[in-house]
Amino acid sequence: MPSRIVTLKLNGAERELIARPSTTLLDALRETFGLTGAKRGCAQGGCGSCTVLLDGRPVVSCLIPVVTVDGSTVDTIEGLADGDRLDDVQQAFVDHFATQCGFCTPGMIMSATALLDRKPDPTRQEVTEAICGNVCRCTGYEPIITAVLAAAEHRRGVPLASAEAEV
Amino acid sequence: MVISVQTPDSAEAAHAALQAGAVPLGGGTHLMTRLNDRAGGDLRLVSLRRAGLSGIGVDGATVTLGAATTLADLEDDARLSYLSGCVRSIASPPVRNLATVAGNLFVPQPYGDLAAALLALDAELDVLGAGGARREPLEQVVTGGLRADDLVTAVRFTAPAQSAFRFYKAARRRLNSGSIVTVAARITVEDGLVGDVRLVLGGLARRLVRATGAERVLLGAPLNAETVARAAEADAIEPVDDAYASAWYRARVYPVHLRRALLGA
Amino acid sequence: MARLTPIDNAYFDGERTGDFTVIGSAVQRSDARGHVTGRTVFFEDMSLPDMTHVKIHRSTRHHARINRVDVSGALEVPGVLRVITHEDVPNNWYVVLRLIGVGPDDEPVLAEDRVLYRGEPIVAVVAETEDAAREGAARVVVDYTDLPAVLDVEEALADGAPIIKQAGTNHFVYEGHHCRRVRFGDVERGFAEADRIIEGRYSSSPIEHAPTEPTGCIVVPQGDGRLRIHTNTQAAFFTLDNTALILGVPPTSLRVVGGTVGGGFGGKVDVIVEPLACIAAMLTGRPAKYVYSRAEEMQVSSTRAAERIVIKDGVMDDGRIVARKITLYVDAGAYSRHSPYGTTKAAAHMPGPYTIPNVHVDAYCVYTNRTPSSAMRGFGVTIGDFALESHMDRIARELGMDPLRLRLKNAYRDGDMKAHRKIASGTALVEVIQSAADLVGHDLPPEYRAMSSAERAEG
Ligand code: FES
Ligand code: FES
Repeated sequence: MPSRIVTLKLNGAERELIARPSTTLLDALRETFGLTGAKRGCAQGGCGSCTVLLDGRPVVSCLIPVVTVDGSTVDTIEGLADGDRLDDVQQAFVDHFATQCGFCTPGMIMSATALLDRKPDPTRQEVTEAICGNVCRCTGYEPIITAVLAAAEHRRGVPLASAEAEV
Repeated sequence: MVISVQTPDSAEAAHAALQAGAVPLGGGTHLMTRLNDRAGGDLRLVSLRRAGLSGIGVDGATVTLGAATTLADLEDDARLSYLSGCVRSIASPPVRNLATVAGNLFVPQPYGDLAAALLALDAELDVLGAGGARREPLEQVVTGGLRADDLVTAVRFTAPAQSAFRFYKAARRRLNSGSIVTVAARITVEDGLVGDVRLVLGGLARRLVRATGAERVLLGAPLNAETVARAAEADAIEPVDDAYASAWYRARVYPVHLRRALLGA
Repeated sequence: MARLTPIDNAYFDGERTGDFTVIGSAVQRSDARGHVTGRTVFFEDMSLPDMTHVKIHRSTRHHARINRVDVSGALEVPGVLRVITHEDVPNNWYVVLRLIGVGPDDEPVLAEDRVLYRGEPIVAVVAETEDAAREGAARVVVDYTDLPAVLDVEEALADGAPIIKQAGTNHFVYEGHHCRRVRFGDVERGFAEADRIIEGRYSSSPIEHAPTEPTGCIVVPQGDGRLRIHTNTQAAFFTLDNTALILGVPPTSLRVVGGTVGGGFGGKVDVIVEPLACIAAMLTGRPAKYVYSRAEEMQVSSTRAAERIVIKDGVMDDGRIVARKITLYVDAGAYSRHSPYGTTKAAAHMPGPYTIPNVHVDAYCVYTNRTPSSAMRGFGVTIGDFALESHMDRIARELGMDPLRLRLKNAYRDGDMKAHRKIASGTALVEVIQSAADLVGHDLPPEYRAMSSAERAEG
């Protein structure tokens, strides 16, 4: 079967691509659109480094033939910041040293974002469950959980650590 | 390598694609892992994502799950709260947002925890086959399989009575890990004695096991440690070795997990 | 963000002066913004027109002679551009440590007449797409004659074991010796004087680093004839020099662009992917990418070595250890990589951070038909410490002694001569144990409280 034209609402904009049957959503993001924030850590659905939001829900983009999600909404790490202004989850990851090598970070932040969009006041346990598909080999997860909880507090009006520092 | 992906918008069209030799693609969380990594000839896929096979129906005690309903959809449905422990034990949120009900019926053990639960609930499948639509008990499909051009369109079962459903999964990690022992049971206790029981074991052997020996021991007996210990001896299970646990370990811990599943401690 | 535990610099009081503004404070990482926005560029985030892909046909045997390799099936796959065999590798034999004088070169870039482990690379296939390269690699046919495999270090050294290495021994040769040796005092006399002998045997399995980013590189031919190598190596200059030697080109004709590593932990210091990607780029004149699949990362990337450590201690009833004899086996797997060095480190680390007057260490770097092992966080030391500290606990149990007091009693002090003839300095072990005891509320009697790394009490 020939390639097909696929339309996505990608980070808020209508985008089109020509996809082969074997093109995954991850391939499309990285190779066609140059959005390389989503990573290929395993291509097995096991590491979560390719996590993006599909119609608002976190998915492993490495396992999705892109032609099957024609017409869907896709949000990636590149769509979070407003120009140079980081969004609160990103800023909390910076403030709480939740990154080391950074390879897991985009997927981790997308999973955390999806959680906070659905549950603005998660428990620590809910944070752990939300990121259980995102492998981080560097940090040991603790600073990541702290960062997600801090971002949640920020959404409820508590300033981020960096904001305090600036005062 | 994938040479075509169809995305039909009806079950009939999806079934026609299967008859023409395409392979069904549910959430892709099992099949795509292979296609991403392994060589192996040309493959035509038919995606069920748009085939109108998603949705959850609850009509009195009768529950109908569309074949392409995602595990995340089950998790979100308050009417299915008795399945939530099972569903949340499977993989991770970004996988459960893709993985489907019917897909879970056909993944190899030690995966397929939902299949264990549905088998314990004595589910039936709606199948679209060469001769039209038909019903098949899940139990029969688990042992006998389906034809390559059969399309599962839905899963039906009777919702269990209050607290009659038990699900317990032992794994290497608390979250996102394949099973070492999965116990799924529908069990009722009247006056301290086991009334009705259906007991299914996952994660232990090559296939799901209906533990009929254990069921016979339990039936009519008091539900206590002594009965459960005898029940754990009653079936000839052939545990498997894999990366999660050795066969020896599985055999050794199965009685413990059966006890925890049925007695809570 | 405030530090949770302030730095305790009492031990180094007066030793360190100066106006430290970074140590002891929380300073934002310079790379964090790139990480959280997805803008950090890892090697695979490069996008290059006309890029080719490299996939490998690997050994399915632990140990076998290769009778014949048939690549014709691979060449028939549409999109396959080239196959690379050992004949295409200018200098096929290498050992990464030759840069510091370690030899012999014991590993082929691509297998020649035999394979020594399952997963050993035999043929590389270069294709227009990843799919085509994978398909091509799968279609290579290798005809093997199986040879007896050795999968255990002690079996490998036993009399009559099949010799798997072309150098003629199943162990690395250290300046003519069968192992790395440390001799200090007279261990047999120590055993004779001891109140009791306490022995133990400790083993570990290989450990995979499992970095989230698989090992890989992209090589780009430049207009001036040089090759630009975008790689996630942890060792840019090891990669540069070893690749140049393998290709038989001056190092100046290669340029390594690295420094962004998606997790390494020592797993990305071997030089594995770059030489073949360079050859692919040279043969096709196009950019070439070679990156491990997750399965390859798990199966064929080197691991932390499995080790087996046998300890025999001569111990006095008051807790003093007067003799320690260690036989240590490092499973290098099929090839040296960094293991001869790791084994030397293991030997030098013995008898641990304790001052023992009589020490005897034999540390063997052993070859087996397992996946080669190599560097991983503290390799040569980590597993040794597991064994030593497990053994210290065993001694404490046998003597009915508090394990912290046993350690304090034997802890090395500044100025002590170590078994490998280095003077210990900046030891601080005594103070660390004392502080740890405080933190967990573990009682120590005054004489143990009074101990110090700076001086050794008589007795
Ligand atoms: S790359 Fe998709 S889950 Fe690992
Ligand atoms: S920061 Fe390296 S994997 Fe998470």
